[in-house]
Amino acid sequence: MIYKIISKAEFKRFIDALVRSNSSFGPRMVDTDSRGEAVYQFQPVSSVDEIAFDYTRTASSAKHFFLPFRQELSRFHFHDDDWDQKVSYEADPVVLFGLRACDISALNILDDVLLNGHFPSAYYLAKRKNTFVIGMDHLPLPDCFCKSMNHHTVPTGFNLFCSDIGDEYYLAINSSKAFNFLREFETRDPQYDENCRLAERRKLISSSFRTEIDVTGLPAILDIEFDSPVWKKWGDKCLSCGTCAMVCPTCYCYSVEESFESDLQSSSRQKRLYSCNLVDFAAVAGGHNFRPKNGDRLKYRYYHQHRGFAENANQQICVGCNRCGKACLAGINPKDVINDLRLEKDTCTTSVSSSPARS
Amino acid sequence: MHDQRFVIPRQELNREDFASSVPDFNRRSEVMNTDMGYKCTVTNIVRLTRQEKLFQIRIIDPVERALFRFRPGQFLMLELPGYGEVPISISSSSTNHEFLELCIRKAGSVTTALFNAGEGARVAIRGPFGSSFPMDEMAGHNVLLIAGGLGIAPLRAPLFWINEHRNRFLDVSLLYGAKDPSQLLFTWQFNEWDMISHIGLHTIVEHGSEEWTGKTGMITDLFNDISIDPATTYAIVCGPPVMFKFVCGWLDGLGIPMNRMFVSLERRMHCGMGKCCRCMVGSTFTCIDGPVFDYWSVMNLKEAI
Amino acid sequence: MNQQGLRFEKLKIASFDFTCCEGCQLQLANRESTLADFLRLIDIRNFREISSEQHDDYDIALIEGSISRSDEVERLLAIRRQAKVLVAFGTCACFGGVNSLKNRVSGEAAVSEVYGEIKVETLPVRRISEVVKVDLSIPGCPVAKEEVERIIISLVTGSLVTLPKYPVCVECKAALNTCLFELGEICLGPITRAGCHAVCTTGKTPCLGCRGPAEEINMEAFLHLVKERGLSRSDLQEKLAFYNAFDAFTP
Repeated sequence: MIYKIISKAEFKRFIDALVRSNSSFGPRMVDTDSRGEAVYQFQPVSSVDEIAFDYTRTASSAKHFFLPFRQELSRFHFHDDDWDQKVSYEADPVVLFGLRACDISALNILDDVLLNGHFPSAYYLAKRKNTFVIGMDHLPLPDCFCKSMNHHTVPTGFNLFCSDIGDEYYLAINSSKAFNFLREFETRDPQYDENCRLAERRKLISSSFRTEIDVTGLPAILDIEFDSPVWKKWGDKCLSCGTCAMVCPTCYCYSVEESFESDLQSSSRQKRLYSCNLVDFAAVAGGHNFRPKNGDRLKYRYYHQHRGFAENANQQICVGCNRCGKACLAGINPKDVINDLRLEKDTCTTSVSSSPARS
Repeated sequence: MHDQRFVIPRQELNREDFASSVPDFNRRSEVMNTDMGYKCTVTNIVRLTRQEKLFQIRIIDPVERALFRFRPGQFLMLELPGYGEVPISISSSSTNHEFLELCIRKAGSVTTALFNAGEGARVAIRGPFGSSFPMDEMAGHNVLLIAGGLGIAPLRAPLFWINEHRNRFLDVSLLYGAKDPSQLLFTWQFNEWDMISHIGLHTIVEHGSEEWTGKTGMITDLFNDISIDPATTYAIVCGPPVMFKFVCGWLDGLGIPMNRMFVSLERRMHCGMGKCCRCMVGSTFTCIDGPVFDYWSVMNLKEAI
Repeated sequence: MNQQGLRFEKLKIASFDFTCCEGCQLQLANRESTLADFLRLIDIRNFREISSEQHDDYDIALIEGSISRSDEVERLLAIRRQAKVLVAFGTCACFGGVNSLKNRVSGEAAVSEVYGEIKVETLPVRRISEVVKVDLSIPGCPVAKEEVERIIISLVTGSLVTLPKYPVCVECKAALNTCLFELGEICLGPITRAGCHAVCTTGKTPCLGCRGPAEEINMEAFLHLVKERGLSRSDLQEKLAFYNAFDAFTP
């Protein structure tokens, strides 16, 4: 990692050059909600003026730049009584500007799951390799809880990360590409003073969190509370609409569909992001549904997010952005659900769960 | 003001990116990973029951065919282009490198179309995927196999293995239950298993017929027919979810250690590679950690049975 | 047509309109980019919007519209006798649709309001499944062209015909739309069956539920949501009743 200092004006010139020369996306205000708050999304940008540098949080994460909501996995071309399969991992270079530390942490978690597991995903890797990620720090929103998840800072996973230290940005340069581009602009090496301002900035961010979730021992608590009434309570509120998983930066579960083209000369196998809250996520051919109740499915999502799966070394994959909590129409959010589980655990004198060996 | 100096060049993928790929997954060297299927021809189709057929398929490319290896208990993703992919357990012998046999029940789009497609149809397979029965570990012991309905399909590969290495095992028994006599699968092999391989075969059906001279009842009614030495016995169980509970409970009660009881679970895999999460049970992937689990693992999978 | 040893037959198809605007049928003729390929999949035996030829030897009958006259009942029964697969095509056929608004007033009042002194025979509006057995429902006002095409391809190739079981929110979030509840509107997206690619909400128009309820919807939670946000109950009832698709859930 190489560190540089750049003035905000010069930084904007740099970003402008970058977004004008590449297919680029950054935070833009798309709406004002009924409370008068701005709504942001990662949208195409073609000049620096279109970017909302002071944005808070995008309603949807940047996940879909790496895991599109719908993506072709392979294509079959039919001829005579035979066929050919084509698989393509092509991805176009993209500049993605303005990701928060938690968003980049989410990418690192996806790297872990999708690249370091048994079967690395070439589709994901092609996108990851071709995306130029620029991160930006920010002061937490009242409902951000990334600090609780230890994702309020991020050491890697980006090309460039900028911290706001007043009139200037403190740049962490993590790729030769970023370094070479910046050669064309006026930067200088950080001095004692700037290092202090960076430390102050980090301290300020770290002390500004107003939402905290105690996640210590959570995987074990989740295991123990498998049959907790908490799941039914929150499940009864759940609309099973899948919104939480769609906006989540780490929810990666998917569905595979295949269909003929209308000329019947080819067919396409596609994956589409699917939510474990959707009614048929665990349904099998013949109609049996392994998770028929809202609460079963909600619980499953919390398991995946906060207990983790063997495939990602049983790590929690939630980064604490609270996009799911913000987007949930039923008012279900990680803080309340987890606190409820803890409360359940703390107040009961006898265990509400049956033994882990239920059979 | 497009400026060539700031254009980000496209980066292609290369083999080094996949250095950590699974070593036991046999591919032709030029194929980067697991998204391309091996093309196969359907070489023979045998109707087993009204709902089930046995498909014999052969990998077309001789190099791919020679390299393809699987272990008893593993499954593969079978693709019928245009219709989609389904997870199917391999029912043939793991030492047969010419053909694969897949016992398929007509249930959804893909399987229905497969039933309509004739011999000569070209399908693709990805895999093999998942865990397997520890045949080497079982050698030197008694083996008790218990199958309900279509659950016999994943047990046929370990049965073949036992047949081919019969002298390495002590007593081997198969308890096999089905709804009615017409639903019993692989009946033509019963004699071979019984007479030649000396596998103690015990069948039972829920509803008998006029011709049926065997037992009627549930699979649990066969328990009294055999004597088991829990100290030297391995058990393999596969069947509908409701069966696991009773059978595993019984075996547990007999004192067979949990790490010597194996079950093969079924879920709807979409990818086979631990990515789509559709086959998760609790916090475990059926496609990677399973489909074969020992009973201790199953007890820990809270949603399993 | 031949594929993989599977022989695909063209579908002998007919399309009929009852009480409707014929907009759903028009959708089929509209998708120009794939129209030629699409027409190769079907053998049109009777389809007023597309061809002047009329034959009665069809296998699949698309029924657009709801039933509001006794002669329509007769015609529908005759079609049911011929068709191997009868498809309720569009929201009016599936749920009654906008036409069902008529059922809020008496038949006489409705006739005199619209036709004045002229005598017109009319019955309360019924969905197709209230008159004959329906084999397949394709909802939508109008139907989604891609979905119809996909279903026709599935019928030709013998694939399973499915509709999404989940609600519109999934597709709306994939379009990166701002939730209309956040903008202070009542939107039926969370309880309505997806498959429309959230076309209305993408245009910032709240979902009126033309595709009917998604599977196993949580109506109680939805009603609670509207109440919690202080949104108008009459607006909600108006929306739920708009296409008559939520009558089973209406409080």
